[in-house]
Amino acid sequence: MKMIRAIVRPEKSETVAEKLAEAGIVSMTKMHVFGRGKTKGLQVGDIRYDEFPKVMLLTVVPDEAVEKAVEIIIEVGKTGNIGDGKVFISAVEAAYTVRTSEAEL
Amino acid sequence: MKEIIAIVRRHQVPASKKALEEAGFNALTIQSVEGRGKQKGVGGWAAEVDPHLNPLLKHETYVQEAEMKWIPKRMLTLVLQDDEVSKAVDVLIKANQTGHIGDGKIFVCSLEEVVRVRTGENGPRAVS
Repeated sequence: MKMIRAIVRPEKSETVAEKLAEAGIVSMTKMHVFGRGKTKGLQVGDIRYDEFPKVMLLTVVPDEAVEKAVEIIIEVGKTGNIGDGKVFISAVEAAYTVRTSEAEL
Repeated sequence: MKEIIAIVRRHQVPASKKALEEAGFNALTIQSVEGRGKQKGVGGWAAEVDPHLNPLLKHETYVQEAEMKWIPKRMLTLVLQDDEVSKAVDVLIKANQTGHIGDGKIFVCSLEEVVRVRTGENGPRAVS
């Protein structure tokens, strides 16, 4: 199992989630976060924007679904401009369903 | 060191905290998140709380199949020593299990490094 954490534009998050659901990845958690990338924010005139609101989508998927999920996130979340976000993948050792106390997704 | 990410019902947080405290796990982070499971938010508000509580809440417009895209949840994050994981998972399951859809998930991930900011110590020692 792998955990995918995708930081995407807030206005794209709903479409990304929908497309992932269409591809069979329905379960996910959404949280509102603030961050910046390697461009260190944005300078507009005198004002420096240090942090931008983003949405982080967190989902845990079986190993074989990772590639497809990342593909969808990139395809849907892409605008081509700076600030489209990042996708992080990390290993998950175990997942438990509280309702059944079984160790499965 | 292991990281436990548990996504649970909002109203179960006090009970979870109490159970964890009694088991000796005092440190945790709580985040307010929204999520859905493989049922895709079926049940709407009625499923957000424990269905047993619905009669008490007097849902007058109770619709069983109402769909809600995102259901508010709480995410608890704990960092533990390797040998404490199974106990913490048991405690969390026991405190949160109602048997109804929406009880949540618990993920266990391994951590490569932990640093305590105050003292700078790292590794298992940073996880008290």
